[in-house]
Amino acid sequence: MAEKLIGTDIAPPDLVAKITGRAKFAEDFRADGMVFAKLLLSPMPHARVRNIDASRALRMEGVIDVLTAQDVPEVEPPREPVLSNEPLYEGAPILAVAAVDETTAAAAIEAIEVDLEPLPFVLDPLDSLRPGGPDAWTQGNVSGREGFQSLKWTEEDFARMEGGHLPLGEPLTEWSKGDVEAGFAEADVIVEESIVHQSLTHHPLEPRSTMAYWQNGKLFCHTSTQSTAVTRVALAGALGLDPDDVVLIAEFCGGGFGSKISGTTHMQVPALFSRKIGRPVMLRVTRYEESYIGRARPGFQGWVKMGLRENGRVTAIDLYIVQDSGPHGAGDYNTAGSITDLTYQPENMRFRGVPVLTNTPPKSAQRGPGGAQIISMLEPIFDKAARQLEMDRLEIRLLNAPGHDATFGPQDASLTSVHAREALERGAELFGWAEKTSLSGQRNGPKATGIGIGLSPFTAGNRGFDGLLIIRPDGKLYIHQGIGNLGTHSMADTARAAAEYLGYAWENVEVVWGDTSRNLPWSCVQAGSMTTHSHTRANRAAAEDAKRKIQEIAARELGGSPSEYEVDDGRVFRRGRPAQGMGLGQVAERAIALGGRYDGHELPDDINRVTVVAAGNVAGQGLMGVARDNYGGEGSIYSWVAGFALVELDVETGVVDIKEYCGVTDCGTVLHPRSLGGQIFGGSIQGMGMAMSQRWVFDPQWGVPFAKRLYTARPPGMLDVPLDLKWDAVGIPDPQTPVGAKGIGEPPVGAGAAAITSAVADALGGQCLCRTPLTPDIILAEIEGRRTFGPLEQHVG
Amino acid sequence: MNETDLIEIAQKSVSRRTFIKGVIAAGAATSSLGYLFRTSGPALGASTLQGTVGRLVTLNVNGQQRRVDVLPQETLAMTLRYKLGLTGTKLGCDRAECGACTVLIDGKTHYGCSILTQTVRNSEITTIEGLEAADGTLHPVQQAVVDEGGFQCAFCAPGFVMSMVALVESNPDPTREEAAHALSGNLCRCGDYDKILNSALRAAELTRRQA
Amino acid sequence: MATIRDMIAPFELFQPTSIGDAVALLGEHGADAWVLAGGLDSFDWFKDRIKRPGVVVDLGAVEELRGIRASGGGLEIGAMTTLTDVELHPDVRARFSILADAARHVATPQIRNQGTLGGNVAQDTRCWYYRSGWPCYRAGGNICYASAPKAMNREHCIMGASRCVAVNPSDTAPALIALDAQMVIQGPEGERVVEAKDFFIGPGIDITRMTVLEPGDLLTAIRIPDTWSEATFYYEKVRDRNSWDFSLVTVAAALRVEGATIGDARIAVNGVAPHPVRLQHVEAYARGKTRDDDNGRQAGELAIQKARALRHNDYKLSLMKNLVRRAIRGMEA
Repeated sequence: MAEKLIGTDIAPPDLVAKITGRAKFAEDFRADGMVFAKLLLSPMPHARVRNIDASRALRMEGVIDVLTAQDVPEVEPPREPVLSNEPLYEGAPILAVAAVDETTAAAAIEAIEVDLEPLPFVLDPLDSLRPGGPDAWTQGNVSGREGFQSLKWTEEDFARMEGGHLPLGEPLTEWSKGDVEAGFAEADVIVEESIVHQSLTHHPLEPRSTMAYWQNGKLFCHTSTQSTAVTRVALAGALGLDPDDVVLIAEFCGGGFGSKISGTTHMQVPALFSRKIGRPVMLRVTRYEESYIGRARPGFQGWVKMGLRENGRVTAIDLYIVQDSGPHGAGDYNTAGSITDLTYQPENMRFRGVPVLTNTPPKSAQRGPGGAQIISMLEPIFDKAARQLEMDRLEIRLLNAPGHDATFGPQDASLTSVHAREALERGAELFGWAEKTSLSGQRNGPKATGIGIGLSPFTAGNRGFDGLLIIRPDGKLYIHQGIGNLGTHSMADTARAAAEYLGYAWENVEVVWGDTSRNLPWSCVQAGSMTTHSHTRANRAAAEDAKRKIQEIAARELGGSPSEYEVDDGRVFRRGRPAQGMGLGQVAERAIALGGRYDGHELPDDINRVTVVAAGNVAGQGLMGVARDNYGGEGSIYSWVAGFALVELDVETGVVDIKEYCGVTDCGTVLHPRSLGGQIFGGSIQGMGMAMSQRWVFDPQWGVPFAKRLYTARPPGMLDVPLDLKWDAVGIPDPQTPVGAKGIGEPPVGAGAAAITSAVADALGGQCLCRTPLTPDIILAEIEGRRTFGPLEQHVG
Repeated sequence: MNETDLIEIAQKSVSRRTFIKGVIAAGAATSSLGYLFRTSGPALGASTLQGTVGRLVTLNVNGQQRRVDVLPQETLAMTLRYKLGLTGTKLGCDRAECGACTVLIDGKTHYGCSILTQTVRNSEITTIEGLEAADGTLHPVQQAVVDEGGFQCAFCAPGFVMSMVALVESNPDPTREEAAHALSGNLCRCGDYDKILNSALRAAELTRRQA
Repeated sequence: MATIRDMIAPFELFQPTSIGDAVALLGEHGADAWVLAGGLDSFDWFKDRIKRPGVVVDLGAVEELRGIRASGGGLEIGAMTTLTDVELHPDVRARFSILADAARHVATPQIRNQGTLGGNVAQDTRCWYYRSGWPCYRAGGNICYASAPKAMNREHCIMGASRCVAVNPSDTAPALIALDAQMVIQGPEGERVVEAKDFFIGPGIDITRMTVLEPGDLLTAIRIPDTWSEATFYYEKVRDRNSWDFSLVTVAAALRVEGATIGDARIAVNGVAPHPVRLQHVEAYARGKTRDDDNGRQAGELAIQKARALRHNDYKLSLMKNLVRRAIRGMEA
């Protein structure tokens, strides 16, 4: 029996390359004749380009050409164009220059005169919703199914602002279940708060640099992307090309966190520029540029009312979210509604939301989009209700957490599996909740201790993608992966679903990834934490296909029926008679001789066209396993993390020291324990950054963003997170997927953030600040009773 | 600026000894690929743009003497990445904040993005590419990372590894907290700090065993 | 002219090997010359292409500017001594641990390995309006964007402002003031010695500079007298992140304590004014007082008597008050 792969630790196959400097990221590539592009960014938050005079730049020695909005594909507003003559935020790229070196390109940018007409702009969604308030686009401030509209609330709506509450004007989206007012009527305790979750940048460590060139009509693009197969199709689509005419090379991705899901808008700049000037073009994106074009999590200004019965059961939640959508939109607010319903299972629920377009750098999904924000805001409010009911904060969560028959959201979705309660219980045990409750609020000199819990779900799977693998005559198993390699190790870990099924020793497995010329199958986007689930399935499906073919060949060669044959350790053999068998290399040779479906000359008719092309290119090279994931299933796939934190809050400085954190997940079967731990901690630490320090800042008068440097954007460093970190997994397989594994990337963000917001409120004696980030100034202002910012004010701290 | 200008600069100096030996104007010798700046050949004499020509210097990188044209304003990270082909040193922020460009200069960690190449001509420079033994054996720090399965996206990894090398050389038996302080000049956006610290402590252990 | 960042504009680089040569170079090039020490502050300006000196004088090769020597019962620290060397020096740690502590609070190990004590005290302000290249008073314009009614000024002044509301970002400056340090300056007219508390200047004196250093001047050494050797020290820097972050408020104090009674004291604060401030009235109050919370509170209130908050930095009053309280009382309540 070959080693068991699923559930064991491995060093990812690309690790040595990563720590020896051999791993090549997009900016590490060079090509003969390569030139450099630099971007000219808008100095205004909203403007119209009246004229561009590049004549002086174009006369400079070494300057090759200029790429402007006229040279890029048109897109339907409010989608993001590559370059624009109506920049919608400070930092929006207006044009690009190509020159033989970057020094010259930079000097050329400075030699260009852009005549801009300033237009009205808005940073804070509430300002835009005010009567007569400015709109981010000339066409309006919200964009829905019916196109743009200029949505304004009334002065009466805004009267609520005087009391520090979110105005509850006309929403763009609304859904409800049950009767929320009846639910409040049944409630013994009602808590109601307005909340502010500020926008924060993604700042993956690798900026979105791209190098591109054309050869024989094909585009070769080295870029940074979370996905691979999908990104090629997305890039081809954006440029109006056949995907077969795009070769995308992205073996490594230095972090994306939702900002590089199917590549990046600006990866088109070198592609288009290279086509225009006939030379390879490198766009080296700097951190400064990354802070503008690198995406940010949408901010929320919200209001929540939560009613609970004496026994702790949530009778009703009424949630209203106003979202800062940036110039091009984002879907977080809707997810926040569903996640709230899922997590607290209120008997009655109403959700209302307005996504408001603003002249701030573009927003996009950021790890746990919508869910992380709302959970980090609601958990301390839930705590407040528990306090009023004199209930233990763990107990109240166990009581309300969803069970297997739970449904949620506007469509009453069901779940494939849920073990949130088990995660809470295991977490409480690991953290020592029962013992630590006595520390709650305890003072030691100026230090107050707080403990907190965050329970955070997020989507964790998808269905219907393709698996492609080949056993070659060398006997090795080559598993082709169209998913990306953004650091989650899922490129290797999901391959193990196929390897284990085929009884392969890991050293005889080659994972093929990251370069679409290497024939990658149709795969999911590496987002929504769906990869583990989707591609353990797709790879398992391909492995099952391969196994059937191996068995058939064995029966044909050695007699008997296919079902009498077992596959293990690189051989196929007759059950009970191990000597009667053959090596898989030999099987591969037979498959090539047999042709047809055995070596990929005939393909299943339900696989994606991308897989058809990829499989066709490697047909005849060995025994091919290729299949679509047709396992099916009912219900939504969600994973959970229960986070527990202990903090010390210095009441004289407002400084919070996170001393301990533990996170326990329900993500089904554990594929790779050490990587799973890395995901739980990594996501939780991003959540801590969200809760404690990160946010955008804008000058409201001029409309320009600050916090463009890492030290002003403040992602957490090693000394900002606890040394004492623990994790565990419930480990109960999801019954609806063959390997039992669900995704994990996103749920920990909300858990980490909420455990901290909950613990900080606890250290303050249950006082919920209802905003992030919880920087020393915000906390100290609260302690000293000297709040100087409005309750709904954004971009402070 | 051309060769004559550079000689003039040298003559403008208050005394000859204000210039460290080895700084000469770029001559016929060519550097490796001059992607970032035009560095050699016709570009030198033909250039009209100030600041795109360099001086030939010799750098001691990973134990080798490397001759390369370097501009006065050029940072070490740029020289390494764009002229010496050592792209293992990453540029994450180019502002001395993230640590992805960390290299050792005379055994101490520095941000390669924020030191002028001209100022390290007489120093020993070690980059991530210089850690493996000639036979390909991994450095104990690298081996420790493999043992612990460290790093996620790993764009930060070369910088962290260099900081770990400096740590184990200066403190072969660090506590977890000491290791965290020593590595606090490097940012990991994936938040893989726990595994990174495990790797650092494992690296110290492997180093002690070797000693 | 469109703006672009992150490419250093060309300059001529000089690398003198002696103080004399360096001073001569600075004299020769005047305002066009830029002194490069560790370079961490300089490169930001260069990469933003906001400061574009024609000539950069790198002090890295001037050996006589490095090192820590005994001097007149105290220490003399060469201006180019790295912050790591200051932090780890046995005499600094044994006798003037507040300075080692301050040095350890600067940014990150890599920056401390390269950044120098001289550079740390001579660095420019981090006001993000000014650092973004806005034409403010400090940049030669006629407006302060950071004190506009809606401005984002969480990190700015609560005292000592004069047109400009930027603060001094140095971590070592308040420690040096608390130690009665002296700054040795070599200029066109020869050497002069300036008390640390007078070295840092506000916009009322010259809005374009943070220190008394004028073009042509070179800070060569910092002398720590033996006055506060092995005193009771307090140093606390409050910041948003625990590495690579500038101070919101930092308080540094040197106290002579007999029993529980404060004899003499030096208390300095940074992050609240355009220059680090020595709180002489608080020192006067503290003399002869017991180290307890009541006296700490009194001292704290006294410290912020003249402070006025801007739109977003009211918390600095609380913070400064509480840190001064701790300096007098001690960390434990």
